[in-house]
Amino acid sequence: MIRALIIDDELHAREELEHLLNETRAFDLIGICANAIDALRVIRVEKPELLFLDIEMPALNGFELLAMIEDELMPHVVFVTAYDEHALKAFEEKTLDYLLKPVSLERLQKTVHKVRETIRRGDPPQYLVEVLRHIPCQFANRVKLVPVDEVEFVYSDITGIHVVTAEGQFFTELTLKILEKRTPLLRCQRQYLVNHDRIDEIKLLDNGLAEIKTRQGKILPVSRRYLRQLKVQLEI
Amino acid sequence: MGLIFDLLQQTAVIIVIAYMFSKSPAMGYLSGEKLQPRQLVVLYVIFSLFSILGTYTGLPIKGAIANTRAIGAVLAGLIGGPVLGLSVGITAGLHRFTLGGFTAFSCGISTTVEGLVGGIVFLILMRRKKPEQLYLPAVAFGATFVAEVLQMSIILLLARPFSDAVALVKVIALPMICANSIGAALFISMVRDQKRMRDKVGARFSAKAFTVADRTLGILSRGFSPETAREMAEIIRLETGVGAVAITDREKILAFSGIGSDHHITGNPVVSRWSKQALAENKVVFADGYVDHFQCPLSSCCPLRSALVVPLRLDQDVVGTISLYEPKTKHFLNINRSFGEGLAALYSHQLLRSRYEEQKSLLIQSELKLLQAQVNPHFLFNSLNTIMAIIRKDSDRARQLLMQLSNFFRTNLKPQSNIVTLEEELAHISAYLEIEKARFGERLTVTQEMDPALLTLRIPVFTLQPLIENAIKHGIANLLDHGQIWVRVCCQDELVVIEVEDNAGSYCISSDERGLGMRLVDQRIKNMYGNEFGLTVDCEPQKKTLVRVELPVTRGLSDDSCVNY
Repeated sequence: MIRALIIDDELHAREELEHLLNETRAFDLIGICANAIDALRVIRVEKPELLFLDIEMPALNGFELLAMIEDELMPHVVFVTAYDEHALKAFEEKTLDYLLKPVSLERLQKTVHKVRETIRRGDPPQYLVEVLRHIPCQFANRVKLVPVDEVEFVYSDITGIHVVTAEGQFFTELTLKILEKRTPLLRCQRQYLVNHDRIDEIKLLDNGLAEIKTRQGKILPVSRRYLRQLKVQLEI
Repeated sequence: MGLIFDLLQQTAVIIVIAYMFSKSPAMGYLSGEKLQPRQLVVLYVIFSLFSILGTYTGLPIKGAIANTRAIGAVLAGLIGGPVLGLSVGITAGLHRFTLGGFTAFSCGISTTVEGLVGGIVFLILMRRKKPEQLYLPAVAFGATFVAEVLQMSIILLLARPFSDAVALVKVIALPMICANSIGAALFISMVRDQKRMRDKVGARFSAKAFTVADRTLGILSRGFSPETAREMAEIIRLETGVGAVAITDREKILAFSGIGSDHHITGNPVVSRWSKQALAENKVVFADGYVDHFQCPLSSCCPLRSALVVPLRLDQDVVGTISLYEPKTKHFLNINRSFGEGLAALYSHQLLRSRYEEQKSLLIQSELKLLQAQVNPHFLFNSLNTIMAIIRKDSDRARQLLMQLSNFFRTNLKPQSNIVTLEEELAHISAYLEIEKARFGERLTVTQEMDPALLTLRIPVFTLQPLIENAIKHGIANLLDHGQIWVRVCCQDELVVIEVEDNAGSYCISSDERGLGMRLVDQRIKNMYGNEFGLTVDCEPQKKTLVRVELPVTRGLSDDSCVNY
């Protein structure tokens, strides 16, 4: 049985796909999610082997969800879409397969076969993912998409990851590691990422450490380990 | 005293000459336009003869001649300027000189000076921009009076023996000054009356030109084709009374009406050099039949002699010509250059306008096509997917949805007309919304707020649908929690206001970045009703997007007026 997760924003689409998956008797459905944010949580906890991922979804689409998944958690992905304008792109990203809605059982059987083959070979899923342009943050009971270029810096503490913009500070479920990898934000300390467009000055301290002053006047620590790297990246 | 009467008798002769002059083609020269060299020559001959005649009809007195020679010279100057005045003056003066007598030399000189006086008055009035005063009898009287006073002075100065000159001037001065001045005034007054009559005819002709314009513009607005050309040629010929009218495009004759239609045949290529010149140089070409003779290139016995070729312009490009022809037998033409230029400008505007109208209607059609094509294929396949899921649980509901889907596509693929009632547009979007509600389930609520009396309002087809689709695609579909859409229609004075509001507030972008659907709705309304109408977006991020469409009120025939609400 393949441990699979369905992600689609439409109730009937989820039900229809669930029904079809059950008919193949090939899947162990570990969850059904209505949006990318919920899906990210389930993926981290349940670590599914395969995603049936709708592309057009509210707030964050299927491609954006993939960009938020850490490499080691990355499942195999089958895109499910109503219209094939994304098909080419999906293939470029070496998606395992894609299904067009409405999905026929015969076509789904082929996917099952393909997925089994891939898992048997043990190929790790590697997808060419996009750069994140938005960071999904929690804001009241909505998801606020903070554009990356508006971010001043990001830091982590025991309560989680905080994205700081001129507007304020927002909580995100993405890890610093993913943000460092999938956005142009630069690591300056173990717990800090900074947007290099928002750096006002870098003050070098005696002991090989440094401080960054942001445009908003916030002082961020720079550790010895990341200072050299930062100098190279900022070409100074 | 008797001399005055004798000289006044001579004015009878002058009036006869004035009458003959006013009936001659030379009268046509006095239209106020600058005289052509050929016209100047004709006037020179006429006025020289007139002046010389004045000498012959004079009365010999004391070895001199009391005469009316001055009138011809002064009038020549007044009418044709200093050159003509001087030429006539010299000619008549030389002639007088050859007749001899003790005043021969002085009279020769003085006549020349008199022509010059007329010319100087001409120059003064021209400089003061009052050319119409040249034809005032008072001006002619004054000019001749001054000229004759000068003549007497010259006789006194130059004629010898001086005593004889004094004796002569004493006798002839008063009668000659009076008779010549009155004669010149009479002549001019006669010419002026004739000119007025002609101008009246001209005014009537202008009225005719307006009639031509009025009757042909409507035809031209249907486009420039052989059919419309034939109708236009007929009307232009009948209304202007010219011999023949031809209308061509750039290559061939589209229509010909009138004299010479036996060899000027519709469909033949354009061959005459006048037409070719008008086409090539984009200007009115006029062969007036006097200076430039129209010569038919097809037949040597073609009776057409003068031609006015008017280019038809469309945006600086010449697309054809209209030619008006007069036969050899016509001396007074029904056409002139300025008439041609007026027609050219008028028709060019009309052609431009009809092209503009044509493009506008094309634009509206293609916008409609685009709006139809705007329907998202996602919508279709997602709907089918939804219905397939529902079939498993509730086949009646699925049937119902398929019905809605088919209604939606029927309207969308082939709208009945450009303008529909609000009721029809609402029916169209409700089919769409039923399906979307099935897709989004609990996530979508739609509220309609409007007076049922407004259902007969007429709006462009597909005005509401792209707005609703937008609210769902870019608004509700992006919301993780409950989505709400309000559709409101109200009537404010003479304005229909349609509002579509959602609670997502995720469409806060400038008008340039708006989706094609929204821009098309806006552009189409502006094209149909004018720039003061159209679409505005009011967005509060994360709270609401309010799209507002303003239209003028148009209703079905049997409806009440909007102001009642």
